[in-house]
Amino acid sequence: MRLGRHELTLEPRQALPPGYTVLIAAGAIVVALALSSFLFVSADASVLGAYRSIFAYAFLNPLGLTATLQRAIYLLFCTFAFLVPLRAGLWNIGLPGQVFAGALAAFAVPFALRGGDTQASFASGGLIILMVVAAAAAGAAVGGFAGVLRARFQVNEILVTMMLNSIMFWLVAYMIKEGGPFMSPTGEGESFALPPGLRAPLWRGIPFTALLVVAAAVLLDLLFAKTALGYRIRALGENPAAARYGGIIPVMLSLIVFVLGGAFAGVAGYHAFTAIPGVYKIAGNYGFYGDLAFYGLISALIARGSALGAVPIAVLFAGLSLGARFAQGALHLPFGVDYALLGLLMMTFVGSHVLYTFRFALRRTTAEVLRPVAPELPEA
Amino acid sequence: MWELLARSLEASTIFLFAALGELVNQRSGVLNVGLEGLMLFGGTAAFITTQATGSYPLGFLAGLAVGGLLGLAHGFFSISLRGDQVVSGMGLWILSFGLTTYLGSPYTGPLGLSRIPAVFGLSPFFLLGVVLVTAVWLVLFRTAPGLAVRSAGENPAAAEASGIPVGGIRYLCVVFGGVLAGLSGATYTLSYNPVWNYNFLMGWGFVSLALVFFSMWNPWILLAGASLFGIMWQLSLSPELVLPGVLSRYVWRMVPFAITIPILTLISTSWFRTRWGLTKPEALGRPYAKG
Amino acid sequence: MPDAARRVHNLQRVVSAPAAAARGILAARRITKRFPGVLALDRVDLDVAPGEIHAILGQNGAGKTTLMNILFGLVQPDDGALYLGGRQVSFRSPHDALAQGIGMVHQTRRLVSAHTVLENIVLGHPRVRGFLDLRGARSDVQALGTRYGFTVDLGARVWQLPEGERQGVEILKALYRGARILILDEPTSALTPPEVKTLLAGLGALVRDQGVTVLLVTHKLPIVMAASHRVTVLRGGRVAARLRTAEATEEILVKHMVGRDITFRTPERAAAGSPMIQVEHLTAHNDKGQLALRGVSFSLREKEILGIAGVTGNGQDELAQVLAGLRPAVSGRVRFDGRNVTRLSPLERWRMGIGYVPAERAEVASIAAFSLVENTALTYHFDPAFARRGLLDDSGLKGLTRRILTDYNIKAPHEYARAQHLSGGNLQKLILGRVLSRKPRLLIAHLPTQGLDVEATAFVRSALLDAKAAGAAVLLISEDLDEILSLSDWVAPIYEGRFGAVLPREEADAELIGAMMAGLGHREDGER
Repeated sequence: MRLGRHELTLEPRQALPPGYTVLIAAGAIVVALALSSFLFVSADASVLGAYRSIFAYAFLNPLGLTATLQRAIYLLFCTFAFLVPLRAGLWNIGLPGQVFAGALAAFAVPFALRGGDTQASFASGGLIILMVVAAAAAGAAVGGFAGVLRARFQVNEILVTMMLNSIMFWLVAYMIKEGGPFMSPTGEGESFALPPGLRAPLWRGIPFTALLVVAAAVLLDLLFAKTALGYRIRALGENPAAARYGGIIPVMLSLIVFVLGGAFAGVAGYHAFTAIPGVYKIAGNYGFYGDLAFYGLISALIARGSALGAVPIAVLFAGLSLGARFAQGALHLPFGVDYALLGLLMMTFVGSHVLYTFRFALRRTTAEVLRPVAPELPEA
Repeated sequence: MWELLARSLEASTIFLFAALGELVNQRSGVLNVGLEGLMLFGGTAAFITTQATGSYPLGFLAGLAVGGLLGLAHGFFSISLRGDQVVSGMGLWILSFGLTTYLGSPYTGPLGLSRIPAVFGLSPFFLLGVVLVTAVWLVLFRTAPGLAVRSAGENPAAAEASGIPVGGIRYLCVVFGGVLAGLSGATYTLSYNPVWNYNFLMGWGFVSLALVFFSMWNPWILLAGASLFGIMWQLSLSPELVLPGVLSRYVWRMVPFAITIPILTLISTSWFRTRWGLTKPEALGRPYAKG
Repeated sequence: MPDAARRVHNLQRVVSAPAAAARGILAARRITKRFPGVLALDRVDLDVAPGEIHAILGQNGAGKTTLMNILFGLVQPDDGALYLGGRQVSFRSPHDALAQGIGMVHQTRRLVSAHTVLENIVLGHPRVRGFLDLRGARSDVQALGTRYGFTVDLGARVWQLPEGERQGVEILKALYRGARILILDEPTSALTPPEVKTLLAGLGALVRDQGVTVLLVTHKLPIVMAASHRVTVLRGGRVAARLRTAEATEEILVKHMVGRDITFRTPERAAAGSPMIQVEHLTAHNDKGQLALRGVSFSLREKEILGIAGVTGNGQDELAQVLAGLRPAVSGRVRFDGRNVTRLSPLERWRMGIGYVPAERAEVASIAAFSLVENTALTYHFDPAFARRGLLDDSGLKGLTRRILTDYNIKAPHEYARAQHLSGGNLQKLILGRVLSRKPRLLIAHLPTQGLDVEATAFVRSALLDAKAAGAAVLLISEDLDEILSLSDWVAPIYEGRFGAVLPREEADAELIGAMMAGLGHREDGER
């Protein structure tokens, strides 16, 4: 692009100045929010009023804040589920499928042990742990399946995980609708209610999974920064050929990252349906939770692979999605404001992605335009 | 029975259009994994336009235009900015998925217009599909521009050194792919199943993407594959026609996706690759810088 | 210049009388080009006479390729102008250059390997539009080929052709486009000595009989002396000298190229130790599934260097990768220090003391986005001394990296700078330092000096000799016969996946080795 005697070009960036990462991430979020103002054009209130109601509900209202934190835990598990394979250069878009697998496995525990009466009370502590483990294992299995195919046969993991998403989606439908095994006795197209003894313990409205997720964030960052395994994963993600040269085995690592990622997604599934008050069953709109998982994907991308860095981002997105749904009701907006916001965030992220590797530069235009050159050949 | 076949072929055009467009831009070296997003957005734009204006041609035009625009955006990111094509593709998918959910929700429900008539008992779109496949095959393999496209996808440096504008060719192909993806989405929402619902494609776009790999970048094999998938999909929707009473209908819905996985695995094995895998455009997905 | 070099490249002068240089056909004035961080060309002037072979001589990094890319329209200069037949011209892309009769054959092949020769030749040709009329084009191209003396099978797929024929295809393609000025960028680097002779003879005929003008870009003095009329020497982006070849000698040219004298170390003859590696009938496939290594056998002792001489593409990649554990062997056996290691993983080989310096330094041997310390960790992450209980010893790695930077005189801002900011020579030194710091007992060095300038090359060769003196068995895989002959105790020419012979240095005559690199005495059943 020409501007007088200068030219605006994109040049490869040599090194990223410190603090730029945060700046660019923040910028992307702000731009997305600004763009989302278009969504409120049809609203009752002013644009600023819409934003105010979103933030006020999400972060200032005690009920809203609790809901935000609960959703943030869900999103963070999903973030980690995407983040671990991402560091190895692999895309785990199978988050919804792994979440569903985790939910099914968690509910399989009371289902298996009930002996005919879904409301019988159980000795809770050990069973809750069993549910978490089962959810993690199921998610890990689904994720690991894609990981094995990728590692052993180089099958494109994007395709396999998307197929698995659809398969798991219909599997849940089968389980909870039209006479499926998990169907609630009242037959409303949802699963049986979780026995009260098996609900996740809360402290001031926050389930114990909050501890799990914070511990996970710290451990993940330590893993990548300090351990040999983390180093190997990063090397594989940056340059698979060099990693092989250095003795790093892609098969094992691909499997490990997908198993670990899948496990996180499985626990997210556990959390969504057993740890949020008012839900406590596999709801009929379980697909929505699958869609929500993609906020986790974006958090991981914006945080550029940093687990702790993703925490504030996920909390923000949790609040925004909840607040947007609230504003949608309060301002009579069409359904899907939170989905639209998701889309805009992804768009600005991809746009900002460019800034990590390129920078805008103002250069003087090439001499050919500036300085007239002799048409005939001068002497050397 | 004939009804089922006709309906299957109509379903197969959804796969066919999107996959054919993707085949062309992959042949030129650009990978677009966000195909589903372009189909969603094209279909939604077409539905909204037709419902608002009552005109099918305008609706299709809107679908094609939106698909082409998104293709252009993907091209800008992938070609001019030399960005990661998977990131851009995924971005377009989530962007479309999110925005169409919001933009289309006021229009949820049936289109409410009279259906597009069949031609000789077959969907006119299937016939269009066959024409397009023939045209693409002819151009790609029998003309100089087609040779240029294929060379840009195999070795862009060689193409550039032969005087071929690799960037321009890739832009053309990625827009063409986008237009066809938009056509695919529009066909779904305006003809095949004219009822709008959020995320109405439910993963078909990714199946189309898989089909491009299955077809080994050959338009005729693609036609065969798309037809097979159309039949399989239609069967999964109404299994009682073939196997009444066996298994819940939800299990049947899983089948087309489940079948894709072993096929994908098979064509990825080294045994298969050394025999037939040499057809993959060598420079697929790799950003190209001049000089 | 070592004697060996002169013997190997004892080519007949293919060029007889200097061409009449009435009016320059191609000229450049004050060409300047800047890339981020480096001034590639600094006010370069060039004059090329019609019907001559004009050599552009310089080391790697002198700016030769950049200048040619500008002449061909691939790159735009920041300052300066080009003149064709006295008139000023500017090329926005190769399309313009081709339209004006300039053709270029690049250092690396610019051919689509999956397509046929004919498809490659007609690609982008202005006369071939719309529907492809391959039959008409075929007869045209064949006629052209016979007239110019370059004949190739037009129906063959390019991946099936040997390197020399591929280059012939590119030359034919340029001529079919109507090139009157042919730019050849390092055309001889991937050719065997007989192929070089054929090429130079062909160029001589082109120039003499057809009046084509040739720009020959090279860093090889014997080629310049044998084939050119005039030579322009570039150094550091500037013109260092302009000479008539008849009035120059190799010594004068070296002085201009380098600016001062460089001495090469001569190896000491040391007593060899016990057998370190034994290879028996090793075979392996390449990436396309074809048999690339067809039964290689040799053995090597401590303190010995085996030089494997061959043009790239004859199985060296596969041999190096099999020995490093990065490619499975189809049959055969590798014994290292008595142990059968044929199926051992790369990781175990590192642990056992096998060190590998790959040819692709930026793509395989290092990770561009990682810091230098993290790159060091690439061959230390499994080492108990640097990774205890799963945790990496960051300070230990940092210390090791700093030692390598000092010992090998590597120019880098600090240990945590990213590897992508190192120049080729410094990166290669880092890789070598990292591998040698493990004190390997077997060192596989694959094209270790490729693309390095004279100083870095001398350094690397010296490091190899140090490794040998310290007790290692060294496998040196190189295309540079001079390098092989000056460093090795044993020489093995490789052709189409087999060794022609394994000769002690005293018996290794440069002409004989060169001929065996080109397949002399090679029979299909593998017997010699």
